[in-house]
Amino acid sequence: MSTIPAAHTAAIVVTSSTPLWYATRATGLVALVLLTLSMALGLLSSVRFARPGWPRFVTLGLHRNVSLLALAFTVVHILTSVLDGFVHIPIQDAVVPFISSYRPLWTGLGAISFDLMIALIVTSVLRTKMTYRSWQIVHWGAYLCWPVAVVHGLGTGTDTPARWVLVLTGLCVAAIVILTLWRLISGWSARPLASTLGAVAVVAIVIAGTAWLRAGPLSPGWARRAGTPPAAQTHAGAARAPGAGR
Amino acid sequence: MSARPAGGRAEARAGHGPRLRVNPIACEAHGVCIELLPELIIADPWGYPIIRPGPVPDHLLPLARRAVASCPTLALFIREPK
Amino acid sequence: MSVPGAPASMTGQPPSPQELRLIPTGGPLDLPAHLDRYGPFYLRAADRLISEVEQSGLTGRGGGAFPAGRKLRTVAQAARRGGRTSAVVVANGSESEPASSKDTVLLRSAPHLILDGIALAAAAVGASSAYLCLGERAQPGERFLLQAIAERERAGLNHVPVELAATAAGYLSGQETALIATLNGGPPLPTLVPPLPAERGAHRRPTLVMNVETLAHVALIGRYGAGWFRELGSAGSPGTALVTISGAVNRPGVYEIPLGVRLGELLQRAGLPERPQAALTGGYFGAWLPLPDALGVGVSEERLRPAGAALGPGVLAVLPESRCGLAETARIVGFLASQIAGQCGPCVNGMPALAEAMNWIAFGQPEADLVGWAQQLTRLVSGRGACHLPDGAAALVASAISVFDADLRAHVAAGPCARAGAAPLLPIPRPSHPSDPRQPEGRPTRRQLSRRPG
Repeated sequence: MSTIPAAHTAAIVVTSSTPLWYATRATGLVALVLLTLSMALGLLSSVRFARPGWPRFVTLGLHRNVSLLALAFTVVHILTSVLDGFVHIPIQDAVVPFISSYRPLWTGLGAISFDLMIALIVTSVLRTKMTYRSWQIVHWGAYLCWPVAVVHGLGTGTDTPARWVLVLTGLCVAAIVILTLWRLISGWSARPLASTLGAVAVVAIVIAGTAWLRAGPLSPGWARRAGTPPAAQTHAGAARAPGAGR
Repeated sequence: MSARPAGGRAEARAGHGPRLRVNPIACEAHGVCIELLPELIIADPWGYPIIRPGPVPDHLLPLARRAVASCPTLALFIREPK
Repeated sequence: MSVPGAPASMTGQPPSPQELRLIPTGGPLDLPAHLDRYGPFYLRAADRLISEVEQSGLTGRGGGAFPAGRKLRTVAQAARRGGRTSAVVVANGSESEPASSKDTVLLRSAPHLILDGIALAAAAVGASSAYLCLGERAQPGERFLLQAIAERERAGLNHVPVELAATAAGYLSGQETALIATLNGGPPLPTLVPPLPAERGAHRRPTLVMNVETLAHVALIGRYGAGWFRELGSAGSPGTALVTISGAVNRPGVYEIPLGVRLGELLQRAGLPERPQAALTGGYFGAWLPLPDALGVGVSEERLRPAGAALGPGVLAVLPESRCGLAETARIVGFLASQIAGQCGPCVNGMPALAEAMNWIAFGQPEADLVGWAQQLTRLVSGRGACHLPDGAAALVASAISVFDADLRAHVAAGPCARAGAAPLLPIPRPSHPSDPRQPEGRPTRRQLSRRPG
């Protein structure tokens, strides 16, 4: 009797282009970690974090370099998913949201996150050519870019049910939530209303996200509900997830 | 109004050359410039930059440009002489 | 020496040296009476007028004392460079300085002089529109000014349309860039210079901001020439100026004086009931002059600067022996701290600290190093903001520490003197707590910045 939960079975895709598929999943996770790190450094910068051995310019310099690295891994993640022939994902699915035939909504979120990432990086490179205010407004898009990337990962991710992935994602979310709350608290005296609303929003999103996770990716039949094309879904119970055994 | 931040001799202050300036409205005391260019910028009791009067010495100009690029709010700038 | 009460000529001749140039005796003149007194109004060629004003040596009467001719020329050049963009003239009648009333009196008594000046200046700089900004105290006269503008419209004397604008309340609202900010539709917050208003001001056009008294002088120079203007006053500070004399004098009010007249002579005219201790010159951002030592100083920028003071918008407030200069200064600094725009860190942090220090110096028993801290604060806030409000407060504190040093030593030794408890002499518009940097209306500062020292 198989002890693999049905969700796993549905999510398993046996393919001949396994290396590319692995690369997509791996680079996706790495990109998420780097994006989280970048966002964390950005938040540390906004709360003026500094220690005797860690001056402000280190935070800013790391933030910049880690963001570029995150972009690089995201680009590789996109290329491998495009080149992977098992599911048809043309390049435009990466930048235009919701047109994909593979899990349109969740892939689309990846496109949104990627578009935002490009906007954030391009405006930052051209920072001196625009007003500070315009740059700042675009940069607030980071608050959208990162959670959307997380949800994209959980929604499209083959490995979502794996414990180590859940722990990793949980750590990323915890780090950003804590730093965001720190940032909201430090700005509280200047803008009490906005800070309180922000904090409430953060908590609400985390609760809603967890509920969605339970009801969505972690419950049976997710691949089908998420919009995996029928050809890519396995026959029930036919195969094991490579490396998913515990 | 004679109150001015102390520093430099009168001739050095009056010299020609590019000058480092801070836009006081944009400055939010992040303090990155103070870290990057302690030769020319020090902090007041509240963390805001006090810039040494006088033109930027040639050997510090590249560092000054880096400090200008690093300011999170683009408040630091260099005024080139006409 | 101008003597109030001498008859005004009614023949269109230039006012003689014995007559008041600006403020007519016998109340405000309507357009026909105005033209009767000063003669017909006609526009001058732009370059001609600008040269005339330059030669006259007229300097701004709003406090900056900037050469008026040079300002006209700068704006005219900027407007020419800008191609089809025309300039804007802003006549500044805001008079946000509480101890000054000359602009309000001038607006009430000689509006047509000011409007003449606006028309001449507009033609000189190539402006296509003008604003006349009225401060709080002048706003009740709005209807009268509208009538005057309409009268001129009918007579074809307005070179450009003149729109009345109300300056926002608050000490900073009359500041050049803050005023332009309100005309552009925003709050009265100073902006960073450069770009100069002369290059880009109201509606992104080259803007001439000029005090209404300066424009009145321009109107007279346009009629009678630079030579006539220089007949009164001194070589270094030519012409006449309006000053507001207040404090411990018998006859407070607005006086028109030839620049350079001795302070003692002027105060004699105003009448001194008690022995004077000091005079506040320039305004709330000005400086104290010790009396009777300074009675021989000439009242002009040129003569006051070396004495450590400035004429500014012509404020002269006399402090009698029966009052404490440190107490008055502390109240003024507290007021100024409540009036900051709140945009610049050094001022947001330094001004409340300075007000607090002055408060303790005046009304508590300060230690000697508190005075040192106050002096350090004056250096920390000066020259580091977008406007000069903190610079002015710093100069006031520095001059108070110097002029009232005997009182200072007494306060350090034994606490506040009895005089410090006397009723305030100088007008403080609204009660304000020194450490609360809010606008009088309760509008919070733009950004609350962290106050942690060191």
